[in-house]
Amino acid sequence: MPTPAASGTGSPRRRNHHAEGLEAGKRSTRTLLWVILAAAMVLYGFPFLYLLFTSFKTPIDTIAVPPTILPKEWTLENYANALGRNGVLASFINSTQTAVISTVLSLVLAVPAAYGITRYKTPSGRVFIMAALVTRMVPPVAIAIPLASMMASAGLADTPIALSIAHTTISLPLSIWLMSSFFEAVPNDLEEAATVDGCSRLGALWRVVIPVVSGGIAVTAIFAFLASWNEFLFALLMTAIRSQTTPVVIANFQTQFGLDWGSMTALAAVYSIPVILLTLLLQRKIVAGMTLGAVKG
Amino acid sequence: MRISDRRFALYLMAPAALFLAVFVAYPLFRLVADSLFKISPTAGGPRDFVGLDNYVRAFASEAFMGAGWRTLAYTFVVVALEFALGLGMALLFTALGRKSEVWRTVFLYPLMIAPIVAGLLWKFLMIDNFGLIGTLLHQAGILQNPNQIGWLSDPGIVLFSVAVPDIWLTTSFMCLVLFAGLQNIPGDLIEAARLDGAKAPTLLFSIILPLLRPVIAVALVVRGIDAARAFDTILIQTNGGPQSASETMSLLIYRTMIRFGDPGLASAMGTIYLLAMLGVAFFAVATIWRPGKDN
Repeated sequence: MPTPAASGTGSPRRRNHHAEGLEAGKRSTRTLLWVILAAAMVLYGFPFLYLLFTSFKTPIDTIAVPPTILPKEWTLENYANALGRNGVLASFINSTQTAVISTVLSLVLAVPAAYGITRYKTPSGRVFIMAALVTRMVPPVAIAIPLASMMASAGLADTPIALSIAHTTISLPLSIWLMSSFFEAVPNDLEEAATVDGCSRLGALWRVVIPVVSGGIAVTAIFAFLASWNEFLFALLMTAIRSQTTPVVIANFQTQFGLDWGSMTALAAVYSIPVILLTLLLQRKIVAGMTLGAVKG
Repeated sequence: MRISDRRFALYLMAPAALFLAVFVAYPLFRLVADSLFKISPTAGGPRDFVGLDNYVRAFASEAFMGAGWRTLAYTFVVVALEFALGLGMALLFTALGRKSEVWRTVFLYPLMIAPIVAGLLWKFLMIDNFGLIGTLLHQAGILQNPNQIGWLSDPGIVLFSVAVPDIWLTTSFMCLVLFAGLQNIPGDLIEAARLDGAKAPTLLFSIILPLLRPVIAVALVVRGIDAARAFDTILIQTNGGPQSASETMSLLIYRTMIRFGDPGLASAMGTIYLLAMLGVAFFAVATIWRPGKDN
C-alpha cells in the first residue's frame, strides 16, 4: 500500500496559503482548468464505477462481447453468489479481526516508542528511528517465508494472531514515524506543568500528552488498519482455511471457480466500499497523515 | 527511586524494538542463513550446507537476471508516470485554489482500495475479448479491432500493462505530497517572477521544481521502494506471464519458493534483492532526501 512519507523531524505544518501566487488568475483560464479537472476525475473514477456496474450485471452480461458499460438488467445475483459462497463471510470476520488486532498492537508498541524517541532525543532513539526506516525498505517476500515457519513452530499457523503479527511488521515502523511527528508538535511545557503538579512521568504521558495527540493516534490507527485490511502477500502465505482473509478469497476465485467475474466484482465492491466511505468521512485526518512530515525534507 | 530520563526513554522504546528484533530482524537472519543451504521443500527434510552455491545459481539463472531488469524497468515506469501525472494534478489543484478541495478528497479514493482489487479490476478492463479498453479504443476508431492489442497476453508490452493498476492506485499519493509541497512555495516569489515576465514553463522549471526538490525526493524514494516490491497487482493480473514477461523480483522469489520448492535458492534471491533495495534506498536517502537536515 502507498504509505505516507514520514520524516520524524517534521511538525504538522500550519495551513498557510503561500501558494496563492500559483492560482490561475484569468477567468477563461480557470474555466479551462475546471474542464480539465472534470475530465481527469471522470477518467480516474471510471474504473471503480465500472467495477460497481459490472457487479450488478447478470453473469452472462458480465462477459458479453462487446462489453457494455451499464448493466442491461440490474441484478443482485452476483452479490448473492459471492456472499453465499463457503468461507466468504468467515473471511470478512478474519479480515476485520486481523486488522483490529494488528492496529491495536501497532499503537500499543508505537505510541510509547515514538514518545520516547521524540521527547528525550537520546542517541539510541535516533538509531531506533533510523532502524524503523530501514524496516520499511524490507521487501515482504523476504521475511514472509521465515516468518511463516516461525509461526508454524510456535503453533500459531493459520491463525489471525499470526497474520496480525506479520501485518504489524509493516505498520509498526510507519506508526512510529507518524507518531513521532505528532509528538514533535506537542510542547514540552505541557508535561513539565503536569510533573510540577505531582504527576509521574508516565502519569503525565497518559493524562496530558496522550489526549493532546489523540487526533494523531486516530490517523495512525487508520493507516495501520488500512495496511492490514488491504494486505495480500502475508495473507496468501500465512493463512489456509481457518484464518483466510478476503483478499486471498478474491484471488482464489480465479482458480477455484473458473473466471466468475460477476462474483469477483461483487465481492471486491463489498470489500472496498466500507473503507472508501470511512476514509471519505475521515478525509481530513487521512490527508494530515499522508502529508505529515513529507513536506519537510 | 527516580530513573534517569535516558533509561525511561529506553523502557518506552524497548517493546517496539523487541518486536522488530523478533519479527523482522530474526526472520531476515533466517533468510540469510537459509540462503547458504540446499533445503528440501518438505518439512523436516534434509538441509545441506552448500556455501555460496545458491548465490552462484541465482546469478547464473536467466530468470533471476531477467526479473532484476524487469523490476527496475517496472519501478521506473511506475514512478515516472506517477510523478508526471501527480505533478500535473497537483499543479491543477493549486491553480484552482481552495475551491478544488472536495475534488482533492475524491481523488484520493484509489488509495483505499486493496491492490488485489485494483489488479483484478484492471485485468477485467484489459483482458482479451471482453475487456472494455480494447472495445472503447475500437469504437473511437483508434484500433481496427478490439483485440488488436493484447494488453496482458503480448510479452512485449505486458510489463507496462501490469504497471497500470499501480499507477492508478498511487498517483493520488504523489499528487497529495506534491500539492502539500506547492502550498509552501511563497506566493510573492511567483508574483515577482510573473511581474518580470516569466512564462509558465520558466516558472515551472526554474522556480517551482527547484523549490520542490526535497519534497520530490521524498516522494520518489518512498514510491520507488514500494513499486520495486510490487506483488499483488501483478500476481492477479498475469501471475508473471506470459513467458515470464511480467515476472518481477517478488514474484520470482515467491514462485521459486512455492512452485518450484527451492527455499535455499529463494532465500539467496531474497537476500540479494534485500541488499539491492537497502543499497539503493540508503544511497537515495543519504544523497537526496537527507532526513532531518534543513534544505
